[in-house]
Amino acid sequence: MSTKKKILLVDDDLDLLEQNKLLIESKGYEVITANSGKEGFEVFKKTKPDACVVDLIMEEHDSGFILCYRIKNDEHGKNIPVFILTSATYDTGFKFGAETKEEKEWIKADALLNKPVIIDEFVQKLEAFFELKKL
Amino acid sequence: MQNTKPKVLIVDDEKGLRVGAQRLLSSEGYDVTTAENGSDGIKFGTETEFDLAVIDLKMPDIEGLEVLQKIREKFPNTVCFIATAYASYETAVEATRIGAHSYIPKPFTPEELISNLKDGYQRRLVNLEAEKWRKEREERLLEVAFEKTRMNTIVNSITDGVLVVNKDGLAVLHNPAAHKFLELTGIGVEEYILDKLKPEIKNLFDKLVNDKSAENKSYTIQLELKPNREFFIEATASAVRHPGNNVAGVVIVFKDITELKKIEFVKSQFVSMVSHELKAPIAAVYGFLKLFNDDSIKLTPEQRKDYEIRSMLRLDGLLKMVNDLLDISRMEMKTVHKEIKKVCLHEIISSILELFQIDINKRGIEVVFDKDNSAHCINVDADEISRLFTNLISNAIKYNREQGIINIKLYQSENYLVTEIKDNGIGLKQEEKQKLFTEFFRAKNEKTKNISGTGLGLSIVKRIIDSYSGKIEVESDYGEGTLFKVFLPKAISN
Repeated sequence: MSTKKKILLVDDDLDLLEQNKLLIESKGYEVITANSGKEGFEVFKKTKPDACVVDLIMEEHDSGFILCYRIKNDEHGKNIPVFILTSATYDTGFKFGAETKEEKEWIKADALLNKPVIIDEFVQKLEAFFELKKL
Repeated sequence: MQNTKPKVLIVDDEKGLRVGAQRLLSSEGYDVTTAENGSDGIKFGTETEFDLAVIDLKMPDIEGLEVLQKIREKFPNTVCFIATAYASYETAVEATRIGAHSYIPKPFTPEELISNLKDGYQRRLVNLEAEKWRKEREERLLEVAFEKTRMNTIVNSITDGVLVVNKDGLAVLHNPAAHKFLELTGIGVEEYILDKLKPEIKNLFDKLVNDKSAENKSYTIQLELKPNREFFIEATASAVRHPGNNVAGVVIVFKDITELKKIEFVKSQFVSMVSHELKAPIAAVYGFLKLFNDDSIKLTPEQRKDYEIRSMLRLDGLLKMVNDLLDISRMEMKTVHKEIKKVCLHEIISSILELFQIDINKRGIEVVFDKDNSAHCINVDADEISRLFTNLISNAIKYNREQGIINIKLYQSENYLVTEIKDNGIGLKQEEKQKLFTEFFRAKNEKTKNISGTGLGLSIVKRIIDSYSGKIEVESDYGEGTLFKVFLPKAISN
């Protein structure tokens, strides 16, 4: 890796955002951040990152899904992995706990990551995607 | 009737006969009344009920047959004899046709009279007994009919659905509510119903009918008749057993549990939301602690200090949220003990403003507290009211702009003590206004993202106001500021 891969991290919890930034940076990536779905897309357009990690519940309970959808339908975005960060409530609680297959296809997220992020697991998944793209 | 004397009425214009009969019959144990003409006969005979009457056929004023008729009209069970010297077959027939028991030809011997009356009295007793039975029978029939309609009326009026199916699957009893719950327009008389029941309900029937254990079991199921919790029913089936314990049929009771299901849903949604809200600060603190212990990450002393402070702030927020949740739960369970005493709102508000003075100064906010000269005192729980205005004033500071203004007004309307708290800060969007008092709702946008809060403050405000039967109004435009109007009833009944 001659140049560092650029990861866009979007989370409305500024503490978690900073923690994950430090962790991902420590693994040799460049990290850019945004703290809302809206800002996330603006930063994405500006910086054209190599991957995105997006929190699910931000200004709306499904902001992460919508951001993911917008990235995946973008000319640059359709070729990069987008991970959605969820907490366990994803499985148990809210209305979005029971997405239909159609909705999942609509969202096209490459992986759902549980909070808190286990950094090694994350890096492994990320690198697997980069490998795949090379082939 | 051993102790009562048989009552006899003698109607005859012949004095000798009257006196003779009276003597004779009195000595035989009869209670005798005499009438010397037809009109007296009618008068006495219809005034009181006699057991027996002996009526002369030919009298100067009124015919004996008419007297007979009048008496029988009034008292059909008075046994009447017609007595006359002009005996003829036709009069005898006519007399019995209009109700005479028998016919005594004149002259008669005392024995003839007594034996006739004895016979007549027996007849009277038999008639009375028969009538008693008839009446009882009629009454009982009436009672049964009444019971039946009464039961039907009751069953039809029950809001729960009732369906009774005999062991052969015929519907023997059902009410309109059952039709609704079964989604049937009606059920025929003793119609075979099993095919029309939902499989889950039919299954209850099968289980009970095939159960040989003779235990008094009942089964309950819940069915969602319309999706999205719009119509939920609960069906409970139990067996009706013959004395020999064989199953005679099954009673199924249907209950509308839609409201219950809605509450259940809201509750679990609330639990999910609470877990999520509690998890966020825990995750943040956990994340910082992990960074402190991660050897691959080098933190500068300044960074470390910063993260320690931020961890404290998150824990602080967590603690506040737990306290707010406990308050809400206490209000919900109505275990809050209100200590009602006279509280003056201008004093409460002044002391809250003092507490917030540092924050107010820090943001350069100007507070204008405008109150008329009247006393603004009501009987309430001081802590609750102080909590109410603390939350509102804290919001007015947090969601205000730098160098903003807070206007507080106190005045009285006819029924309420009104407090207005107005800021000229961020304001609310239309959709935010509607969700304002919902637990954990926080207006999330660029301007509010750095403002901390539990999302429970206004929900608590609303609950406190509701507990005093007051009301709260909000006026706000995005970017212009927000005005809260709190109405507390002047006469708070507790």
